[in-house]
Amino acid sequence: MLAEDSTLLREGLVRLLVEEGHEVVGAFGDAAPLPDAVAAHRPDVVVLDIRMPPTHTDEGLRAALTIRQEWPGTGVLVLSQHIERHYAARLLAAGAERVGYLLKDRVAQVEEFLDALERVHAGGAVLDPEVVRQLVVRTTHTDPLTRLTPRERDVLEALAQGHTNAAIARKLHVSLSAVEKHLAAIFDKLELSHATGYNRRVLAILRYLES
Amino acid sequence: MTAPVGVLVLPGRATARRWAGVERARRSFFFGDRFPEGYAVSDRKVRRYLALRAVVGPVCAVVAGLLGLGAVLVVLVVRGVVQGSLGWGELTGQVVLGGVLLFLDLQGLRSLARLDARLAGECFGPSGPELLRLRIDELAASRAAVVDAVDAERRRIERDLHDGIQQRLVALGMLLGRARRGRAPERTDALLLQAHEECRALLAELREVTWRVYPSALDSLGLEEALGGVSERCALPVRTEFDVAGELPRPVETAAYFVVSEAVTNAAKHSGATKVHVRVVLRGPVLVVRVRDDGAGGADADGSGLGGLRGRVAALDGTLSVDSPAGGPTTIIAELPCA
Repeated sequence: MLAEDSTLLREGLVRLLVEEGHEVVGAFGDAAPLPDAVAAHRPDVVVLDIRMPPTHTDEGLRAALTIRQEWPGTGVLVLSQHIERHYAARLLAAGAERVGYLLKDRVAQVEEFLDALERVHAGGAVLDPEVVRQLVVRTTHTDPLTRLTPRERDVLEALAQGHTNAAIARKLHVSLSAVEKHLAAIFDKLELSHATGYNRRVLAILRYLES
Repeated sequence: MTAPVGVLVLPGRATARRWAGVERARRSFFFGDRFPEGYAVSDRKVRRYLALRAVVGPVCAVVAGLLGLGAVLVVLVVRGVVQGSLGWGELTGQVVLGGVLLFLDLQGLRSLARLDARLAGECFGPSGPELLRLRIDELAASRAAVVDAVDAERRRIERDLHDGIQQRLVALGMLLGRARRGRAPERTDALLLQAHEECRALLAELREVTWRVYPSALDSLGLEEALGGVSERCALPVRTEFDVAGELPRPVETAAYFVVSEAVTNAAKHSGATKVHVRVVLRGPVLVVRVRDDGAGGADADGSGLGGLRGRVAALDGTLSVDSPAGGPTTIIAELPCA
């Protein structure tokens, strides 16, 4: 299911998804009809733009949060004009299953977009590589990121993009146990207690989004 | 208001106001004074004015009466001369004395007239310092409006870029991405053809957006040509009358351009008009821009577009009036001083 106010883009997305063998059960120009439509069709994933009529601010984000709350089984992939860490944090605050936050321009990188869609559908969390890059380049002394080794940053970047440990290992050409070791070091440096019941992977990402 | 002790008779508030109204009308009718409409006068000021008028008025009457007396004396002297009962020496004395008295009397009348005008001006119109304060308020307001107008303009440009150009670019990227993934060659060809078309549309849109940001023709070819561009771009028929001899200051040209451009765009977008008439005329030192459409009216004079224009015009000490009754027609008039 899609919600995107630009007709041109909406049509393009529908065509692309149909070509790729997905089924589009609804395409809307604003966020208003989404809750009812989601309730009726129960789509696997909803792709929606953050800025939509009437106010062109964060209608899409609010709709996404509603969908996540009401229908947790439905994946949500949000497209954003610019990187807004605040939005990403709000989106992930409710947990990091079946959720994605991508730059709108990413849609033009068809493969990346389709890949993100698949990962959200599979239950993962996807953050735009650009979000992660922005987080990683900030090097203030108070930033716990500065305490990470380059390798640990690579692992974190892959983690934030929603990859599983196995996928990270493949991506970085290291063993699975090496990835687990890096992750443990990262959680340690970010002072994420092992005792919490939260998903530490999400906490790690959130820690940056909010810092 | 309690009457201050020691004043014998004070007219009631309503009476004082009525008298003041009569006085105001007297000054306007006989002397052509122009007082600002709706200027609020305090009760104290009105009482003070009336009290002073109560003195100045009778004095004026006395002085005028003396003039009448002088006229009677002149008649008597002339009669004396005619009947031969007045000697030369006596006549000279009378003429000199009369002349001096006449001079003093006229001088007195002139001073009293000036005093009367000044008193009325102080009571019914703003005084010097007050005028200054009003001007400062006006400047502060127009300065704030200019900043608002600039911000609104930027927001509009951002929206133009976001809603138009960027969406088209993303769509173009998607078309190319799909073409690359296309398995059948003829499908790929069709997608590339679409992408090529999209590229053309994108360039046209970009040209439009840059023109809306700032029409470069304004600098190179002047206002008349730039206005021609506005009517060419408008979906409605626009009739433009341009009657300006000589050069206009650049800021005035730019403001006039944006007034016309915004008004014409509004007419095409919201009013349901079938034609627009634009008139740009230089009347003395003021450039008058009038845009009239035959649409349904009801334009919001304080909406973001027209509000922004008002700020732009106010910054040049001009005025913008919007007349848009429900049912139309809508007339927008901007007066821009060129001095």
